[in-house]
Amino acid sequence: MNVTTETMPPAMRRVRAYFAPVNRSAQQATIFDPAQQGMFDLDAAAAPWIDLGWINGFIRKSGTKIDAVRSGAPAVTQMQSRSEVEATVSFQFSSWGKLQMALASGTQQMNLLATQQGAAAAGSGGVAIAAVALQTGSTASVLQVGATAAVGFAVGELIVVDVDYSGQIGFVGSGVSGAYVKTALTDVDYVRRVSLNVGRVNAVQGGALTLESGLLGGVPSAAMKVNGVVGFCDREGSSFFQEWSALFVAEGQQGERVLWHYPRLQAMASVGEAAVASGGGLESLRQSSAFRALPVKDAVDGESVVCFRSFVAGS
Amino acid sequence: MAVSRLEASGGEVQNAKDTFYELLRSRIAAGNPERTIVVRGQTRPGVLVEENELVTTATLPDCFRLRWTAAGVDTANALPLVALGCEILYETAGSAGNGGMDRGRALAAMDAELTAAINASPQFAAKQNYAGLASGGGVVAMNTNVWWGNVVFGAAVVKSDRVARTATVTVMSYEEAGEL
Repeated sequence: MNVTTETMPPAMRRVRAYFAPVNRSAQQATIFDPAQQGMFDLDAAAAPWIDLGWINGFIRKSGTKIDAVRSGAPAVTQMQSRSEVEATVSFQFSSWGKLQMALASGTQQMNLLATQQGAAAAGSGGVAIAAVALQTGSTASVLQVGATAAVGFAVGELIVVDVDYSGQIGFVGSGVSGAYVKTALTDVDYVRRVSLNVGRVNAVQGGALTLESGLLGGVPSAAMKVNGVVGFCDREGSSFFQEWSALFVAEGQQGERVLWHYPRLQAMASVGEAAVASGGGLESLRQSSAFRALPVKDAVDGESVVCFRSFVAGS
Repeated sequence: MAVSRLEASGGEVQNAKDTFYELLRSRIAAGNPERTIVVRGQTRPGVLVEENELVTTATLPDCFRLRWTAAGVDTANALPLVALGCEILYETAGSAGNGGMDRGRALAAMDAELTAAINASPQFAAKQNYAGLASGGGVVAMNTNVWWGNVVFGAAVVKSDRVARTATVTVMSYEEAGEL
């Protein structure tokens, strides 16, 4: 431990964000252990944490109310109590990846599936081209679709991999819950419309699609199918609340780190963008997002908390 | 006249200056091993500190020349915070084989090498004390880090058959008890 550097305030450049899924059905968050993982490689976070990239304007606020308990005449504060616990966090994503967009939207984000020729117009995408079934031997980053189906995909194309919708009620989406179905639907592609199990094709060879990076849901099941994706769409007025486990890291110049871990974050604002002046008279659009923290019980002492802030020093 | 301890070691900011130079030199050499210069008969990576070399009117092309400029100390901290201005000057005439018509490309390549070396993560390094080398000793690792901002590029300037640029970067460090 370096007593010299620990007297100084951390001098940070910016904050980096990491995502991990919450099991919505079980209300089970992903817990980050700063004692074991605090000095992890920022460029290679251990699964299930996924790098969301740098963020701007990181602001966290505590809405926790502390009341005074008074007695006597004149009344004198004898003790204090917490009557409300609340924490919020807001920032702007610098990147426009699928995950960043889905989180910033605060609700279910639709994959715009490649449509059939002549499909009727629909705000979040018309009837999709029939999905391609996966064959045996598929992995999280190599999808076996067969030589015939493979010619229908191109390098650079976005794809989504998930199961058919067959009347499920509740949370749907592999790896991360992408939506909550309240009443049965008829669209066989609905799960793939809301799934976050999205990748980009890096190579097409021998009847297999190789992806740039592994699918968020891991090795796909035999029941999953592949659709081509042309883009993404979120909707103001949509009902679903996206929830995720969050980790924010600020690295100081002496190698020390401040880590903020919110095991459960839910969007508290709808999607929005901030225009930031860029070079050449252009403006760059950053996705604004705001989240409210939900509680978990700390396994150490059973306290119900919404955020962990840790400081770990460099060696 | 007697030489004080501070003068002998180059003053309290010398460790930060030396550490930054050593790191920049190693990163430039790793990024482009072919960028070398010959100074006093020795072939070395193409990075030098002007104030550490013999005074000369000649300017070496195709290398990075560090020139330490402004210095400021913020004492409103538990440890004094030193900020040093560093100019990095470089110029090129391109290659003779191309009749110098590739001097713009050569300058762009040097821009890229410098960007990669300075802006690469991490932008900090453990501060080293090299004073012992003068007396046959070793390099001593200190307790704090040196860190620096992003490189800022000035405009390209035409100098006869060469095209030149000056980039700047601010280098910072805490002054430790042993340095004061």
